[in-house]
Amino acid sequence: MAATFDQNDDSVVVIVGSGAGGGTMANELAQKGIKSVVLEAGKTLSLEDIENDEWAMFLKISWLDKRYSGGTWHGHINHPNLPAWIVKGLGGSTVHWAGVSLRYQPHEFKMKTTTGGVPGANVLDWPISYDELKPYYDKAELKMGTTGDVTGMPHLPWSSDFKVLAEGARRIGYSKLISGPMSINSVERDGRPACQQIGFCMQGCKIGAKWSTLYTELPRAVDTGNCEIRTNCMVLQIEHDKSGKVTGVVYADKDGKQQRQKARAVLVAGNSIESPRLLLNSASSKFPDGLANSSGQVGRNYMSHMTGGVYAVMPGKVFQNRGTQVAGIVRDESHHDDKRGFVGGYTLEKLTLGLGFLSAFMVPGPTGWGHKLTSALEKYDQTSGVWICGEDLPQEINNIELHKTEKDQYGLPVPIVNKTDHPNDTNMRNHAYAQMGKIYDSLGAIEVWNLPAYPASHNMGTNRMSEKAKDGVVNKWGQTHDIKNLFVSDGSQFTTSASCNPTLTIVALAIRQAEYVADQMKKGAI
Amino acid sequence: MLHDLTMIAARPSAFATPTRRQLLGTTAFVALTAGLLTTTMSRFAVAAATFDDAQKMMLLRVARDIYPHETLLDNAPYQAVVDAILTEADKDEKVAKMMSDGLTDLDKRADAVYKSKYVDVKNPLEREGLLRQIELTDWFQKVRGGLLFGLYNNKALYPKFGYDGSSWEHGGWINDPSFGKVEWL
Repeated sequence: MAATFDQNDDSVVVIVGSGAGGGTMANELAQKGIKSVVLEAGKTLSLEDIENDEWAMFLKISWLDKRYSGGTWHGHINHPNLPAWIVKGLGGSTVHWAGVSLRYQPHEFKMKTTTGGVPGANVLDWPISYDELKPYYDKAELKMGTTGDVTGMPHLPWSSDFKVLAEGARRIGYSKLISGPMSINSVERDGRPACQQIGFCMQGCKIGAKWSTLYTELPRAVDTGNCEIRTNCMVLQIEHDKSGKVTGVVYADKDGKQQRQKARAVLVAGNSIESPRLLLNSASSKFPDGLANSSGQVGRNYMSHMTGGVYAVMPGKVFQNRGTQVAGIVRDESHHDDKRGFVGGYTLEKLTLGLGFLSAFMVPGPTGWGHKLTSALEKYDQTSGVWICGEDLPQEINNIELHKTEKDQYGLPVPIVNKTDHPNDTNMRNHAYAQMGKIYDSLGAIEVWNLPAYPASHNMGTNRMSEKAKDGVVNKWGQTHDIKNLFVSDGSQFTTSASCNPTLTIVALAIRQAEYVADQMKKGAI
Repeated sequence: MLHDLTMIAARPSAFATPTRRQLLGTTAFVALTAGLLTTTMSRFAVAAATFDDAQKMMLLRVARDIYPHETLLDNAPYQAVVDAILTEADKDEKVAKMMSDGLTDLDKRADAVYKSKYVDVKNPLEREGLLRQIELTDWFQKVRGGLLFGLYNNKALYPKFGYDGSSWEHGGWINDPSFGKVEWL
């Protein structure tokens, strides 16, 4: 059934990227009879490629093309070439994600209104509300198999490690302790098996119990005969005609040869580093600052969540690796209450690190060695930890910048990912560290370690959605304000970051965007 | 794994191979050292003509001091990392000089503070203190990067740390009696 489209066929929609945004768009459009070509920069992956080995999978699936970490975050020193921890491969970062499927809270779409604005930050309300997105959240949960009320699928069983966190949280007065919503099958569903508590979710689910476009949306799109996927194809530039309408893309194929695919519309879903980079690299005499950049906001407002980790050595066995990697969450601090010293909130997510990653990230970078670290590592099976996922404020200084001289293997300027904390981030992180300290102390922790941010897996905001064209890059449909047949379909649309992992919202927006694209095509508007 | 490393090395332009300084101490560096370790696992198996026995023993002491597990681990996994570096030094004069100069410098520092050779400083915390002075040097980071992989991404050593590693082969943990059990709460 697999379709093959001619490169001169200008009736197809070109989708750049095959992750949560691109993969979902491909299937949604295909089901509506709309033809598309998916151009994926990475290689084909399958369940055969998945191993329960952290570093082996890191090397196998990570985006390791040259990048620089900029700004003042510690990664500028400790992860100078790994600002983000995302996937270059079929299925994109849905191979790597842990499955946490939180919906934005209604106020998290209205952070400007909620906060009244924050000095030094570029805070803006989304042009859509929770109520507008709610039906699409429902559809996304049904598509992805999210545990909870919509699918009726029970949440996953509590692992010993989550029981430890939950008990500590209970002791300090928290009550929002839950092992979902996760887009991981707790029972067999939709042709995929129930979770076996293997762990290594972020190295790729070996049995496909976790939703990924790799084995759901993408093969289903291809099965319709309406979608062709080309892997190892890196899009270099989006082209346009005299009127400013986009006409197709130029890409490098697996042999590095330049190819051109014509298109009726282009949907950009290459993650929040590559998507704005592509728009900026597509600058022309008509659009000297890059495509869809009349606002100057392309590449700006880069958000990666206010994050950090807290790991503690417990008085007894925890077996953190025996179960799903994010086995449960604590949501008592995800509300907005600026009496805490910051706006927005954060979620605490139990996170397993294997021995390989814990040894590398407990004290990241060149100073991570010595007896204190090794004595903790010797108690690996007594160690429990969380990842903090908090509202990260948009700032113009946090951006994707193109290197002035250095080019990558495709001849494109290397991206510099600038990230500097806003004081709000620092205050929130310190609050989270303190609360986690209380939780672990209540359990009689032997020692508690505060970890700084990891290279970012949540990358958002660099082509943000705005009501007015001057404030952002895309409208409430993800359609660029400047060019009608150019869309952004990934997390770079996010206006603000909320205290929620982004994938569910990316998928919900994509389902909604697909309806709009289909409608606009039918009307002949694009 | 090697496939990916080759892919990185095969990139056409100059930027493709990051300099050692760019990589040192970083996640990418740790990953890249993986390839080194699989090839050399024997005790001073290679000629390592560049280094005398005292230097080799000192390097082993440094390795054990970087990630000390005095009772948990014997010399073998440390030795494997040291051997890999010695092999490289045999083939690459720059590496040999960097390592040799580093060891000499460390002994000078030990002498300045304790009037002693590094290996003869008895208190491990004092040796750690000396290493902290030079922790940002390239040679130190070379040893550290090798160890991070050789000790903690070494499946043979997982059980010593209480880490289970891969579980899909035996159907995950869902049916294991330990799943969801906490004995001490």
